[in-house]
Amino acid sequence: MSTIAETASRAQTRRRVRVDGWRWGGRIFLVFMLLYTAVPMIWMLITSIKSGFAATQFPPQWWPDEPTLASYQKLLDPQNSVGQDFLRFFWNSLFVSTATTILSVIVAVPAAYAFSRFSFPGRNFLFFTVLLRNMFPAVIFLVPLFILMRAIGLVNTHGSLILTYLTFGLPLAIWLLKGFYDNIPVQLEQAARIDGATRFQAFILIVMPLSTPGIIATAIYSFIGAWNEYIYAYTFLSKNEQLTLPVGIQRFFSENTTDFPGLMAASFMMSVPVVVLFLVLQRYFVRALTEGAVKH
Amino acid sequence: MTTVTGKAEVRRRLPPGRFGVLRKIWEHRADYAYVLPAIAVMLVVIAYPIYYTIELSFFKTPPGLQLRDKTFIGFGNYTAILTSDVFWRVTWNTVIWTIGSTFISFVLGFAAALALHRDFVGRGVLRAILIIPWVISAVAASYIWKWIYHSDFGIIGAVLVGLGLADRPPNFIDNVSTVLPSLIVVNIWREFPFAMIMMMAGLQTVPDQLLRAAEVDGANAWQRFWHVTFPHLRNVSTVTILLLAVANFNSFIIPWIMTGGGPSNASHIWITHIYELAFGRQRWGVASAYSVLLFLILMTLGYFYVRALSGNDRKEGSP
Repeated sequence: MSTIAETASRAQTRRRVRVDGWRWGGRIFLVFMLLYTAVPMIWMLITSIKSGFAATQFPPQWWPDEPTLASYQKLLDPQNSVGQDFLRFFWNSLFVSTATTILSVIVAVPAAYAFSRFSFPGRNFLFFTVLLRNMFPAVIFLVPLFILMRAIGLVNTHGSLILTYLTFGLPLAIWLLKGFYDNIPVQLEQAARIDGATRFQAFILIVMPLSTPGIIATAIYSFIGAWNEYIYAYTFLSKNEQLTLPVGIQRFFSENTTDFPGLMAASFMMSVPVVVLFLVLQRYFVRALTEGAVKH
Repeated sequence: MTTVTGKAEVRRRLPPGRFGVLRKIWEHRADYAYVLPAIAVMLVVIAYPIYYTIELSFFKTPPGLQLRDKTFIGFGNYTAILTSDVFWRVTWNTVIWTIGSTFISFVLGFAAALALHRDFVGRGVLRAILIIPWVISAVAASYIWKWIYHSDFGIIGAVLVGLGLADRPPNFIDNVSTVLPSLIVVNIWREFPFAMIMMMAGLQTVPDQLLRAAEVDGANAWQRFWHVTFPHLRNVSTVTILLLAVANFNSFIIPWIMTGGGPSNASHIWITHIYELAFGRQRWGVASAYSVLLFLILMTLGYFYVRALSGNDRKEGSP
């Protein structure tokens, strides 16, 4: 008895010494990662409140002598042409991303449910086909899709983007949701059906509420993906009033490349909606990944 | 086998007839309605483009999208690609870009996940900050870093000069030998959080009892990690690495916006090169042939991806 206790306590002291080394290593590493992650973002913010003159000094002003919100005022003022463009791009991005998100959920939920619950012939084949979509770069699809969109009259419309974005959000959405449905006991639905609910009612009343975190995660993923997408928007849209933010900002600032405060302010405002959305809902996202993707 | 309802059970017990498959498809016809919207969208936006790309890769195409005037040249586009110097340069860049970004992102993300696994004050805030680069758009990230690397007013150059490590700010992205590593740093900045989230999720599935048992048996921290934690995370790691590799192989925005592939092709990777061939120089046939080659490489990676995923499933015992 006593020897066991002795060994255990010895193991514990030995452990404490070692773990402290690891823990300090971990702390130093985290500080390094924090700097790597945060410094670029902080520098973006500091630059965005400088004047064009203050930004182009060497050595740089670490904190601007005269902080100014002029860049933000210019971008958000509907009276001048810069502000008009920026606000229109912002609205376009919001519209395209929201529409994509709603459609993704509507299409992905039934598909994921079917992949989880039913065993119809070709189920595995179809499931992996859907997953394989993740493998292919946008560029492969650009030329044929451009021709296709032109044939069905969608070039230069937001419809072309929504239809395209739908497909690259879907694979992960279906995969995540399938994991969720796999973990919801079938017995719950069976009980509901014994009580006289139809399959559809059981789905809406029992399964849907239980999979809310998965649906929220799916929605965030689709929204962020659509908000940040660049290459299709860059190729499909040419009219200035149709552009979404990433392309709009690029077009805008390739014309006057020296306005770094303006560019940083625009980058910051483009990031705000998705960052806020993600921070508010991130626990759902991490949970969905744990339950959906990892545990399986 | 997932059992669904009593009715499905009865259906399945019927002896399969001569047209077993067709009959099964017919019996399950209602099930297809659920997947139909997803499949329909996929067919239009994926199957058709793939078919079209393969077809176009065998044709010589005139500039502009007047594709009616194309002429069949067999494998001409493919031989043209494989014998060009640019192809090998771009392929080498792509290999460095993909392996470098994937490996370092994974290691940093995994290490961050391990360091964040234990609870401490401010853990939630720190985790949130580390994830932000993954959420913001690659376009914004490219501009932020372009400004940081700026050859006259960049902050890194200023710090190096301030510390006396350089006489004047170095030129990171206009220099053939530093451009690719500089872009990889940007890519990792945006990508390590994904590995971190995946591995954090994975770490939660490692049973505590096992770790404690190993501890009692006298295993030190490294041994516990190597013999208990890591084997448990093998599947998540495989999936994460594959997803990262595919994403890196397919990346476009960061090199395109920061350098456009320059200087002298030093930062061109496959995707930016294909884009330039197609939309810049309007050589649709050659670009399509490139895409088909890319497709073949990705199918190989995809094979391992599906195997890793279905490996997960099989262990559960349900397909």
